[in-house]
Amino acid sequence: MTLRTQSLLVRDDRTRRRNAAERRFRTYGRCAVGIVALALTVLLVTVVTNGASAFRQTFITLDIPLPEAKLDKTGTRNPAVMAKVTTLGYAPVLRDALVQQLADLGIKTALSDKETGKMISKEAVATVRDQVLANPDLVGTILTIDLLVEGRIDGYFKGRVTMESAALDGNTSPDALQIAQSLADLGVIKTRFNWRFLTAPDASDQRPEAAGLGVAILGSLYMMTVVLVLALPIGVAASIYLEEFTPKNRLSDLIEVNISNLAAVPSIVFGILGLAIFINFAGFKQSSPLVGGLVLTLMTLPTIIISTRAALKAVPMSIRDAALGVGASKMQSVFHHVLPLAAPGILTGTIIGLAQALGETAPLLLIGMVAFVREYPAVYNDTAGLFGEAATALPVQVFNWTQRADPGFAERASGAIITLLVFLAIMNIAAVLLRRRFERRW
Amino acid sequence: MTHPKISAQNVDVRYGDTVAIKDVSVDIAPNTVTAFIGPSGCGKSTFLRCLNRMNDTIDICQVTGDIRIDGEDIFDRNVDPVQLRAKVGMVFQKPNPFPKSIFDNVAYGPKIHGLARNKVDMAKIVENALRKAALWSEVKDRLHSPGTGLSGGQQQRLCIARAIATAPEVLLMDEPCSALDPIATGQIEELINDLRQNFCVVIVTHSMQQAARISQKTAFFHLGSLVEYGDTDQIFTMPNDPRTESYITGRIG
Repeated sequence: MTLRTQSLLVRDDRTRRRNAAERRFRTYGRCAVGIVALALTVLLVTVVTNGASAFRQTFITLDIPLPEAKLDKTGTRNPAVMAKVTTLGYAPVLRDALVQQLADLGIKTALSDKETGKMISKEAVATVRDQVLANPDLVGTILTIDLLVEGRIDGYFKGRVTMESAALDGNTSPDALQIAQSLADLGVIKTRFNWRFLTAPDASDQRPEAAGLGVAILGSLYMMTVVLVLALPIGVAASIYLEEFTPKNRLSDLIEVNISNLAAVPSIVFGILGLAIFINFAGFKQSSPLVGGLVLTLMTLPTIIISTRAALKAVPMSIRDAALGVGASKMQSVFHHVLPLAAPGILTGTIIGLAQALGETAPLLLIGMVAFVREYPAVYNDTAGLFGEAATALPVQVFNWTQRADPGFAERASGAIITLLVFLAIMNIAAVLLRRRFERRW
Repeated sequence: MTHPKISAQNVDVRYGDTVAIKDVSVDIAPNTVTAFIGPSGCGKSTFLRCLNRMNDTIDICQVTGDIRIDGEDIFDRNVDPVQLRAKVGMVFQKPNPFPKSIFDNVAYGPKIHGLARNKVDMAKIVENALRKAALWSEVKDRLHSPGTGLSGGQQQRLCIARAIATAPEVLLMDEPCSALDPIATGQIEELINDLRQNFCVVIVTHSMQQAARISQKTAFFHLGSLVEYGDTDQIFTMPNDPRTESYITGRIG
């Protein structure tokens, strides 16, 4: 009787099927990764192409004669008296300066003087007025200054507005764009990097060119400070106590389950909670970064507690035994040995929690941080207290701008998203670096 | 036996509803090496951990009975387990140095117990402990490199140095050689023999040859109870209990 043997050079059916299944699975995996990568690329490309232009802005260099007759009739150069001339009084000064400049440069125009004046941003009038009030001696001289141009003209230089679209647009005209082009050819109008986008406060519906993220960035910064100062110590203390000191029983199980559940509560619920407790009951100021920070602290706590507990759990029991074995107290063993080993995990969890809080929008809408704020919030003031002055936050500013009618704000919103993403990326990189640094110690 | 260093009477340990050891009574003499032998899960490690109340850290563990060190009840309400553990040091089965430098590993115990008055003093204590643990010549040039970078045998000797740096009176060792090769084991055994001059050593081991080589007294545990306790020579040559005989001749366990 011969023994039937299977040649190794021929694959049997079973092996073939198994290999086919494996190949299929790998293909699924590649598809999944591909879809994720594609989605991410499309998202980033869209945001960057739409938003990059927000970081550039078109300015016009104007020589403005500042007539004493209009701006300081009394001739006292007293800012308090001069402040009686409002922006309405300054608008004709700027308009005349531009008309004069066009004439000097020999640019012919079919536009009326009034329409020409509209080419300068409404914000520019306030800029000039602020300059004059800050330095009254400027009156009677010629002020040379870079001023914002109106949003449509800015859009023309960024490719958002064309001659065709301008013809249908009530706010601008092809003639105005023509003049702007001539001025640009002469170097009077220039498009350059715009720090104001990061520093200026929000602006009203009619002047997207002036809107900036200054207040939102400050507000977010204040809230992150509140979150860090409150959530990190409370979260870490709670986790250490729960993980290292409480006996395992029904109560600690119940607490554990509830903390996990808390992490899954929709953020808007925290907003309602904040509204009810911090504003209506405790009487903190609406729209203040303090309340925002408190609400975000509540939201971040479960994230920090869960990651800290995981980090503490990952420290081997033998280290605790070793410490106790040489006669360390429970607290010494935790603080001298367990906590340093868990630190990278805790830091990563905290930064991820902060990043989550930084991007959170919904709860802030409910506590009034969606308000239009022009004033930079101070860290402290006597009536509002610490972090008590109204502010907005980055994600809320995005939400806010996407609702504005002027297309100039679409670009701003995308720019704000880029800013937010950059902050998040910085935080995540910091988390990775910190973890590496601490883990490398031994 | 004149004055036992440790005297345990009727010790029971339960984990929740499971009885881990029942009715164990042992007197351990000073300046001797006492070995606990027995099959896995017989409760010898559990009993060892009772002697410095390491079982306190396990929530569900309940110890009853009476354990006295130098005549003092270690479960007395006035006894702080931290003080007890400074007096009764412990070396674990797996080498578990702190992820710190060799020096810091040894210095940690003296530091938290305030045994050194200054840096020179501390350096002396560390050197002394490392010498006693027969590790000094190997690490004296790299005291500030990480303790985790040492070999397994060196790590275990580092743990022994760490345990004796706090000047304990009793040293508990829970299978200190189970993770080591024969050469490292030999070094540790020699070390244990030397340590007997200054300490009362209690060692749990799975190796009967090891128990026979290094101990003067041997206790045989089986299924949570102490079957037989006596001089090592007697246990290994003329055991009284048939179970002991079966175990040391390899028929059970």
